Amino acid sequence: MTEQRKDILDMLAAGKITAEEAEQLIAALERDQAPAAAGLDARPKGKVKYLRVVVDATDNGEPSRVNVRVPLQLLRAGVRLAALVPPQALVKANASLSDSGVPIDLTQLKPEQLEALVEHLDDVTVEVDSPDATVRVFCE
Amino acid sequence: MPQVVTVRVNRPDRRPLRFWVPVLPVALLLFPIVVLVVLAAIVACLVFRIGAVRALGAGWRVISALPGARFDIEQGRTAVLVAIR
Repeated sequence: MTEQRKDILDMLAAGKITAEEAEQLIAALERDQAPAAAGLDARPKGKVKYLRVVVDATDNGEPSRVNVRVPLQLLRAGVRLAALVPPQALVKANASLSDSGVPIDLTQLKPEQLEALVEHLDDVTVEVDSPDATVRVFCE
Repeated sequence: MPQVVTVRVNRPDRRPLRFWVPVLPVALLLFPIVVLVVLAAIVACLVFRIGAVRALGAGWRVISALPGARFDIEQGRTAVLVAIR
């Protein structure tokens, strides 16, 4: 509940305004708030096209850098290709992942979920800082 | 579909190497191999009971989405860049 709406209800409870007046005030308040909310949603969201992975590290005293730019379209195509992986291969992959300490059940991952993940990647920024390496994953 | 693949290799104390690989002429040159690869893919799809048309379509989509990809790896004075346009 917003502060203004609470004030209106307080005034109604105190008998300073009638129920009709309170209704009119709340309606006016909602009219004012709707364009503001729409304005936030309609915020120009830059159309991202690429997933970038940048790794800066120092290896044996030598600086090393990995800079990968992958089109998001390629990720979407990869998701469709991954959907064709036969179940028996997924079971083997699950076993290997489990042996490596990553207990993920790939058979539970649905292509729609992966597509939704790719769709929302533009909001994702991952930064990992360690003394000898920096990893950044973001979209541009 | 990708048109040109650019490969650049920087080596210490040597001139940098640059290659521009035009994809379509190279694909035409390798056409017999491409046909064999497609046939092998179809056989693999039949063996693993995957829709061959769907698989080929998904593979083509991956190839079509490649333009814009860029892989840049540097270590010290050695660097390799692969860019697909």
